[in-house]
Amino acid sequence: MKVGLIGLGRMGQALAARMLGDGNDLVVYNRTAEKTAETVKAGATAATSIAGACKDREVVITMVTGDPALQEVTLKAGGIRESLEPGAVHLCMGTHSVAQIKALAAAHAEARQLMVAAPVLGRPDAAAAGQLGIVAAGPESAVAMCEPLFKVMGRRVFHAGLQPEHAAITKLANNFMLGCALGAMSEGFSLVRKFGVAPQVFYEVMTESLFAAPAYKVYGKIMVDESFDKVGFTTLLALKDFNLIMAAADEARVPLPSGNAFRDRLLSAIAHGGGDKDWAIVAREQARASGIE
Amino acid sequence: MKVGFIGLGRMGKGMAQRILSGNHDLAVYDVFPKAAEDFRGTAARIASSVADLAKDREVVITMLAEDSAVRDVALGAGGLSASLPKDAIHMASGTYGVETIRALEAAHTAAGQTLIAVPVLGRPDLAASGQLGVIPAGPEEAIARCEPLFQLISKRIFYAGTKPESGSAIKLANNAVLGCAITAMAEGFSLVRKFGVDPRVLYDVMTEGLFAGGVAYVGYGKTMVERSWDKVGSPITIGMKDAHLIAAAAAAAKVPLPSHDVYVQRLLGSIAHGDADLDQAALAKEQARAAGLE
Repeated sequence: MKVGLIGLGRMGQALAARMLGDGNDLVVYNRTAEKTAETVKAGATAATSIAGACKDREVVITMVTGDPALQEVTLKAGGIRESLEPGAVHLCMGTHSVAQIKALAAAHAEARQLMVAAPVLGRPDAAAAGQLGIVAAGPESAVAMCEPLFKVMGRRVFHAGLQPEHAAITKLANNFMLGCALGAMSEGFSLVRKFGVAPQVFYEVMTESLFAAPAYKVYGKIMVDESFDKVGFTTLLALKDFNLIMAAADEARVPLPSGNAFRDRLLSAIAHGGGDKDWAIVAREQARASGIE
Repeated sequence: MKVGFIGLGRMGKGMAQRILSGNHDLAVYDVFPKAAEDFRGTAARIASSVADLAKDREVVITMLAEDSAVRDVALGAGGLSASLPKDAIHMASGTYGVETIRALEAAHTAAGQTLIAVPVLGRPDLAASGQLGVIPAGPEEAIARCEPLFQLISKRIFYAGTKPESGSAIKLANNAVLGCAITAMAEGFSLVRKFGVDPRVLYDVMTEGLFAGGVAYVGYGKTMVERSWDKVGSPITIGMKDAHLIAAAAAAAKVPLPSHDVYVQRLLGSIAHGDADLDQAALAKEQARAAGLE
């Protein structure tokens, strides 16, 4: 398939490698051109502009961080909307707000292009192994066009609906529950510590009973080890994510009291200097609120 | 070992049968005589009162649903502290509050006996097959003496420390995390529903990703998606009872629990809407109601 890819961060590079491995004709573009070197060596062509990455393409994938970057590459002069052929698909694979996805879907529709949102579940190493989860939504024919690409990228596609924002909200809701799990674990650890229990024991009880899941095993361990300096996802990025979630909830009129409680913990963690630490540092913040640290 | 067992409800019955299978000298008692009927014709002796059960026992296990019940059994006239021999052990296995555990500990210590708290993890089917998790807490020597009993009722032992209240704190904290997980799932489902997404999709995303293998999510999430909260595993009233114990422990230890507070408020809303006897998964209904969905 003739595919364009914009955004060659760690995730983008991993996706590019998977698609090249399956024999796709791939053109890539990244604002910082050096980042394309590895992918070009593996067989891709580097474009010098977004328009170049869209020319003749059946599908153009974006894997960029944040709404502003997505808005720019899509809507600016010489952006995807101006450059993509009618009938071609913009496959948006980053994690973005519902409002942003809706706005882009409308813009592409006006230009008689198709839009699919397909945020991914998993880290870059899972992407490199073709083991991502993919939450896809958009018009049926457009999603069908993307299926061969999904097949080489992921282990599982979750079809969320016919409107691109269906995928965006599903991904955000999953992140939401992860945040709430971190908040709840933090509270549990503080409570048992105050009663003289070693956090490791509580960790074992949780992860060997009701919570034998990656969310609890991975983040519970970081909390027990207090290894907040090894950063997977920063507190500042987590706040950004939660703000997207809360904005979607505002729009839909859905009160999220657990989310509010967690967002406040994130704010306090940042206020105490933890913005660039791993967001599991909410456990330390909860401990501080309990008079432990 | 001479063992007594008080509280032959769904959990207690299975645990007592496991103890019996270890060829211990077992005496059983329940305030409702019918509950002991299953032990008629077995090697167990059916006692006529707490005092009758306790008089010659080395260890007495209590598995009762309420703090008030274990207080009656242990502290009342003719109760365990008055009836157990010196040096005997009271193994408190229900999910009891920290204050209650402290009161029992004081009374048994004064009588020359030892209290250990050994709350359990798992449902009645696991109790019957000896597959529970146990969380023993208390003086080391007493814990060591009860080790053979742990082996009969559990597949996994989590040693919580030398103070009985530590066991209680762990069990309560685990339940607190569960309450928060149920509340968060309810919020997540109502959010995607408002955008027109089938809740089943979010369920699949959760349980095949970050929350795979987590019984809390796989189980309660399924009940929420299927709206089958009429089939009651753990009712909202029990959630409320535990939530009170958790809040009391947190107040005693001065630990703010904002997520757990949210859970408590949703429980109250559910009860206010007449859903007290539904499964706790019905918090999804309450959350949806708050979001204008039902």
